[in-house]
Amino acid sequence: METFDVIVIGAGHNGLAAAAALGARGKRVCVLERSAGVGGMADGRLAHLVYNLSEAERRRLGVHLSEVDTVSLARDGRHVAIRGGSAAYADGGAHPDAAAYAALHARLVRFAGVLAHLAEAPPPGFEGGLTSLEGLREIARLGKVGLGLKRLGKAEMREFLRVVLSNAFDTVLDEIGDGPLAGALTADAVRGAWAGPRSPGTVFSLMYRLGQGGRVFRAEGSMGAVAAAYAEKARAAGCDIRVGVPVARVVVEDDRAVGVELEGGVRIAAQAVLSSAGPLQTMLLAGVAHFDVEAARRARGMRAKGSAAKVNFALSGRPLFTGLSEAQHGARLVVAPSAAAVEQSFNPAKYGELPKAPVLEMVLEDGRLSVIATHVPYEGWTDARRAALGALVAETVEAYAPGFASLVTGTEVLTPADIAAMTGAPGGHWHHAEMGLDQVLTLRPIAGNARYRLAVGGLYLCGASAHPGGDVTGLPGRNAAGQVLADGVL
Amino acid sequence: MATHDSFDAIIAGAGHNGLTAACYLARAGLRVLVVEKNDWIGGAAVSRSLYEGWTYSNCSYVCSLLRREIVRDLDLPRFGLQVIPYEGGATFTKGGDYFAYYSDHDALRREIARHEPRDVDAYDRFSRTVIRQCRFIRPFLLRNAPDPTSLKARDLQELLFLVKRAHGLGARELAETMRFWTMSIGDFLDEHFHSPLIKAHLAGSGIIGTGLGVYSPGTAYVLLHHYMGDVDGAIGAWGFARGGMGAISKALGDCLTEAGGVIRTGAGVDRFLVKDGRVKGVALDNGDVFFAPVVASNMDVKRTFLEHTDRKHLPEDFLRGVERFKIRGSSAKLNIALDAMPSFPAAPEGAPFLKGDLHASTSLEELERAYDDWKEGRWSREPYFDMLIPSQIDPTMAPPGKHMMTVFVQYAPYDLEKSGVRSGSHWDDAARTALAECVFDKIEQAAPDIRSRVVHAEIRTPLDIEREVGLTEGNIFQGELTFDQLLFNRPVPGWANYATPVEGMFLVGSSAHPGGGVMAAPGANAAREILRRGAKRAARAA
Amino acid sequence: MDARVQTRPAAVPIGLIPTPFQSRLEALSRAKSWVNWAGYISPAVLDTVEFEYFAIRNQATLYDISPMHKYRIRGTDAGAMLNRLVTRDVRKVHLGRVSYVLWCDEDGKLIDDGTLFRLGLDDWRLCCQEPMAGWLDDAAWGFDVTVTDESHTVAGLALQGPTSFAVLQAAGLGTARALKPFDIQEFEPGLQISRTGFTGDLGYELWTSWARACALWDRLWQAGAGQLRAIGFEAMNIARIEAGFIAARSDFQPANTAIRLGRGRSPIELGFSRMVDFAKGHFNGRRALLRDKPQYSLVRLDVGGFKPADGALIYHRRKKEVGHVTSGVWSPTAKRNIALAELRAPFGADVADDLWAEIYVNAEGTWERRLERVTVQTQPFFRNDRARATPPGLF
Repeated sequence: METFDVIVIGAGHNGLAAAAALGARGKRVCVLERSAGVGGMADGRLAHLVYNLSEAERRRLGVHLSEVDTVSLARDGRHVAIRGGSAAYADGGAHPDAAAYAALHARLVRFAGVLAHLAEAPPPGFEGGLTSLEGLREIARLGKVGLGLKRLGKAEMREFLRVVLSNAFDTVLDEIGDGPLAGALTADAVRGAWAGPRSPGTVFSLMYRLGQGGRVFRAEGSMGAVAAAYAEKARAAGCDIRVGVPVARVVVEDDRAVGVELEGGVRIAAQAVLSSAGPLQTMLLAGVAHFDVEAARRARGMRAKGSAAKVNFALSGRPLFTGLSEAQHGARLVVAPSAAAVEQSFNPAKYGELPKAPVLEMVLEDGRLSVIATHVPYEGWTDARRAALGALVAETVEAYAPGFASLVTGTEVLTPADIAAMTGAPGGHWHHAEMGLDQVLTLRPIAGNARYRLAVGGLYLCGASAHPGGDVTGLPGRNAAGQVLADGVL
Repeated sequence: MATHDSFDAIIAGAGHNGLTAACYLARAGLRVLVVEKNDWIGGAAVSRSLYEGWTYSNCSYVCSLLRREIVRDLDLPRFGLQVIPYEGGATFTKGGDYFAYYSDHDALRREIARHEPRDVDAYDRFSRTVIRQCRFIRPFLLRNAPDPTSLKARDLQELLFLVKRAHGLGARELAETMRFWTMSIGDFLDEHFHSPLIKAHLAGSGIIGTGLGVYSPGTAYVLLHHYMGDVDGAIGAWGFARGGMGAISKALGDCLTEAGGVIRTGAGVDRFLVKDGRVKGVALDNGDVFFAPVVASNMDVKRTFLEHTDRKHLPEDFLRGVERFKIRGSSAKLNIALDAMPSFPAAPEGAPFLKGDLHASTSLEELERAYDDWKEGRWSREPYFDMLIPSQIDPTMAPPGKHMMTVFVQYAPYDLEKSGVRSGSHWDDAARTALAECVFDKIEQAAPDIRSRVVHAEIRTPLDIEREVGLTEGNIFQGELTFDQLLFNRPVPGWANYATPVEGMFLVGSSAHPGGGVMAAPGANAAREILRRGAKRAARAA
Repeated sequence: MDARVQTRPAAVPIGLIPTPFQSRLEALSRAKSWVNWAGYISPAVLDTVEFEYFAIRNQATLYDISPMHKYRIRGTDAGAMLNRLVTRDVRKVHLGRVSYVLWCDEDGKLIDDGTLFRLGLDDWRLCCQEPMAGWLDDAAWGFDVTVTDESHTVAGLALQGPTSFAVLQAAGLGTARALKPFDIQEFEPGLQISRTGFTGDLGYELWTSWARACALWDRLWQAGAGQLRAIGFEAMNIARIEAGFIAARSDFQPANTAIRLGRGRSPIELGFSRMVDFAKGHFNGRRALLRDKPQYSLVRLDVGGFKPADGALIYHRRKKEVGHVTSGVWSPTAKRNIALAELRAPFGADVADDLWAEIYVNAEGTWERRLERVTVQTQPFFRNDRARATPPGLF
C-alpha cells in the first residue's frame, strides 16, 4: 500500500496551504482532489478578487497582485470612488462624509488589526483547563490580544468592545449618511453571509475582511493564478498533488485515521488525514459511527446557507458605465445604493425568493464581466430561476451601463447549490460556514472541534469552515498544519 | 413643602425603578424626594381606570422578572403586592387549530406530540438549556457590570466573579453559553424543533420589545431576558400582579412613604441643575426647584441627557455615546374592556391555557416578515401579539362576568413611513385606528367574535407611550437589548455603573444594566452604588 | 356558527392517563395510592406494601410496566447504530436474547440503562425508564434504521416471584419452561415472554399489544387462582434494592435531564466497568470514559441499626462527609438494613472502612439523629438460585 505521512483531502487553497506547510517541515504529503483542477473556490469562475491576504503570504506566494479601487455606483450618477479610507465622488468632487468615513475606516482597520492576531493561530480554547500548559499558552496569546487592545487606549478599547458585537448598519450610519458609500461598506460586511447589515455580529465580519487593511487586489491573469501559486508552493515543498481522484472514505482503525480509500477501492495509508471539507462531510467520510451523537448533531446544525451567486457574462465588447473614467472601469464596481438597500436585498432570500434589487460586486475583465450577486436563496434552484437571476443581474447592470445587455454573448449563473456541487463548500457558502458570532473563534466551525481536530486521532479539518474562516488567506490550512505538528501525531 | 426645599436625594421619575431606588435610599436614612410628571406614579407599571369599572395594566402587563431579593428587602407583600402565576398559553392557527402550552408537563408532551412527535423530547432539551442559561445569568442581575477596561479593584472583583463563574462551566458548557448568547432565537429553535407552530410559539419571547427579528443574532438572549425571572422560584414562570401592574408601584410608593420619602406628582423635571460639574438639584416644569447633592434620573439616558441636561456640562464623547445608544420603538399596546369572555372556537371547553398568553403567529417566517415590515417603517401586516385576559384570574380587573384584555403588539415602528418620509408625527388618529383594525383582524384568527365583545379599547402607539410614560420611542426596555448595549456597554461604555459624568447624578432606569422588564434591578443596583459612594465620601470627609 | 367549530381539534388529556390495565388495577386498589409514571396512573401501593413485597419473594406478583418507554429499532444498520449507542458489544447479543445495556452522553455520563431485546436479525427493542425518542433519533442519524416509539402501543406486565412459572404453566404457557434467564420468545402470536425482571427473583415479563392487554391479565389472574397478587411501585422498589439494581433519578441522574452541571455519573462510577467494552470500537462517550478518572463510586451498603437510611449523608471517621445514600430500605428477606450509596472517590473503593451514615428518625414527633456504621458489600443483598435455574421450579 502506498504510504504518506499526511493525506490532504481537497486541493482548495487551504488544503494546498496545509500541504505546503507540512511539506516544508519534511513531511511526505499527498493532496487528493476529486475535480480536475486545483483551487477549489479560489477559481477564476468563482472568485475574482483577493481581499484579505496578508502581505507576508503574498510575498511567500510570489503572486502579482495589483490593488484596485472600489467604485460604488449611484443611480443618480454621483458614484463614489473609494480607496482604503479615502472616499470622493468618482468625478473627483469631495464627498461630504469623506472625513467621517476616513475616521471610521481607520478605526475599523485598527480594530481589525487586533483581531488579526487571533486569526494566525488556532482559536483560544480551554479544553485542558486554565492551569494546563496549553491553557497557559492560551492565556499568553490572549494576553497579546489584550495588549493590542490596551495599546488602543482606554477610550478606543471601550469602543472596540462595543462595536465588535454590534451591527454594521448602525455602526456605519452612526458615522456617515446613508448612500452608496455606506452601501459599499455594509455590503462588504455581509457579502456571502446569511445576514443583512442590521444583524448583530456583522461588524465582526466586516473587521474580518479588513484584517489586512481592507485593500482589494486583482490577481494578474485571474484568481486561477493565486490557486496555481498555492499549488506551486505545495509542489515545491515536495507534495504530491493528484487531481481527479475522489476519496470514498477515510479509513479509521482503533480510533485513529490511518489513511483513505479512493473510489474504486485503492487505499492510501497515512498517519494523519486533513480534510478541506466541512465537519459534517468529513464525519460522513470517516463514518458517523466514529463520532459522538452530540458532535454529529452539532455538525448537522452548523449554519452554512450560501447567499451569494456568481454570474459571469461573456461579452462581445467593453461595456461603458455612465460617469466612470476609463481607469475607473478597472475598479471593483459595487451596486449597493445604501445600507438600507443592502438590508432589503437580504429580505427575499430569507423566504427563498430572488432579490428585487440585488447587491452586486463586479469586476470587468477581458471579454467578461464577473459579478457576485447577493442575496440569493440557497436552495430551490431551477434552470428557469437561474435564468431569472441572470436576467435580473443583467438588467441591474444595464441601468448603470446602458447597452450592456447587447454585448452579452453568454451568461453563466452559479448558485449556492452549484458552488456546493463544484467545490464541496458546505451550502455553497462563501466562507464554508456562516461567520456569525456563534460560529467564529472557539466556536468555529462547531463547538468542541475548534482546534482543527475532529475527534478521531489524526483526523483534522483544514478548510475555510475552520478558524479563522473564509476568504483567500491560507490561514485555516496553515493553522491546521501547525496543530498537526504540535499534536505530534506524525 | 416649600417649592425650593433641600433633600439628600432626588429621584426624577416615579417609575418602578425610581421608586425602588428611592425606597433603598430612604431606608438607608436619606431624605428622599421623588418627582413625577404624571398625576400618578408607576411609569410603565401602572393600573389605570380609563373605562368605568375596568382596570387596565396599560403598559407592562405581566410580572416575572421583579427580583425576589428586592421584593423581600422592601417587604412589598406587606404593602399589598400579590403576584399570582398564570398557567399556560396558546398559539392559534389560521386553520382552526392551536398549539397549547400546558403547565402540566405530561399534557404538554402530549400536546407537542399531537403536532410533531419528534419535538417532544426536543422541548425538554430546549427548556433545560434555557434554564441552565437562566441559572448562569441570574446572579449577575443584582451586581454591577464589570468594566473590562478598568483596573479598579471593584471592577476587577466583578470581572473575577464573571471569570470564575464562566470557568466553573467547563470548556463545553462555556462554548454552549457563548453560542447561546450570540445566536438568533430562530436558529436556536431550528436546532431543536421541526414544527413551525411550536417554534413560533416559543419564539415570541425572543422579540418582545426589541427591534430585532427572530433570525437576528442576539435574540436568544432576549428570550433569556424574558425567562430569567420566576414566580416563587419557578424559573421562567409569569404571573399577574393582583390589581394590575400598578400594584407593584403602589407597594413601592407605600414602602417609600413609610420610610419617610416624599413623592410629588404632577410636575416633571424640566432641567437637571448642574454647576461646576456637580449636580445641584432639579427645576420642575411648574417652576419649582429642589436641591440635593444626589439626583438620580429614572428617565432613559437619552431623555435625561439630551433633553433635560445642558449639553455644556457633558463631555463630548459621553454625549456621542448617548446619541448612539439605540432606543427604538417597536411595540404597541391595546387595552380592551370586554362585555364577555370572547369565544375561542378551536379551544376545548374550559381550556386552562386561555388563562395564559395567547398568540396567533404561526411560523418563524411570519414573525420574520413582521420584522421586515417594521424595518421599512410600517407596522407588521401580520403582527405578533402577546394577549392575556387577566380578569379570568384577577377579579379586581373587570366587573363580574366582564373581562379585561391586554394585547401587546410587535412590531409597530415609532417613526412611521409616509410618502418616503419616516416620522413619529405620522401617528395620527387614522394611523392609530388602522393599526388597531390590523391587530383585531389578527386576533380574529383566535377569537372570531372579538370585535363584538369590545366595549372600550385603548390603543397605544409607540408615540403615545413615549408621550405619556416618557419612554423614548415607547421602547419598553429604555434601550435595545443587543450585545453592544448590554453589561459594560449599557448605556455608554465606561458609564455602566449608574454614575454619570456629572458628579452626584445617577441613572436608575432600565437604560442601565441589566435593562428593562419590571425587574427593579437597575433601581436597586443604582441605590447601592449611590450609598457606596456616599459612604466613601463620608469616610473621606471624616 | 363558525365553520371552524366543527373541526375543533381533539384536546389532549390533562393529568394522568390510564394504562391498558387500569380497569383491573382500579378494581384491586384498596389504598387508592397512585403515582405518576411517565404520565400514566401507576399504583404506588394497591393494598399493603409488606404483603405485596412478600408476595414477590414468596409467591407471584403482577406489576404493570406498560409505562416503560419502548422503542423498536429496525434496519440493516440497527446493530451498528446500537453498538455506537451502548457501552456493551451488541454483536454478542444473539437472536432471542436480552441484554442489560447502558448508554452515555459524549462526556461518558449515563443517559439511561435498560433492556435490549433482539427480536430478529435486524430487529431490536430497547426498553427503558426515560423518554428516549429524541436521543434515539439523533443517534440514528446517518444509519439505515427506523426507530419507532412503541411506548403507547406495547403493554408490559411483570410476573415475578418463585411461583411465577407455575402461574404461566397454569395459564397454558408451560412452553416457557425452556426460557433461560435473558431469553425472549414469542409463544403465541402477539405475546412475547422474556425471562427478565427487576426483582432478582425468578420472573418473567410479558409483552403484548394494548388491545390484548386485559385479556392477558385476566388469563394470568385466573391461572394464579388466588396465589397471585397485584403490586405497586413501593414493593417493587424494595425488591430491586435488595437485588442491587439501580434506578434512574434515584441512584443516578440521567445525564440528559440534569440542569445543574456535574450531575452525570459514568457507568464505571456506577459500578458497571464490566459492561463497558472498550475493545469493540467507538461508542458514545468512549473517549471521555478513557480520559476521565472516576470521581465517585456507587456501592451497596449494609447499614447498622434498623431504620432505613434513605437520603442519609455518609461520613468517613464520623466527620468528613463523603457521600450520601441514594436508595435505602429495610430488607424484609435479608433482615438487614440495606442501601445503595454514592461516595466520592476514593471512598467506597479504596477507602471502605470507618464509614458512617447519619440517619434522622422521627420518633412520634421527636427527631433523633443516629450515626450508624456502614459496611460496603460486593454482592447483592438478595440472591437465590431459583432465579437462575432452568427449567424453573414451580415454587
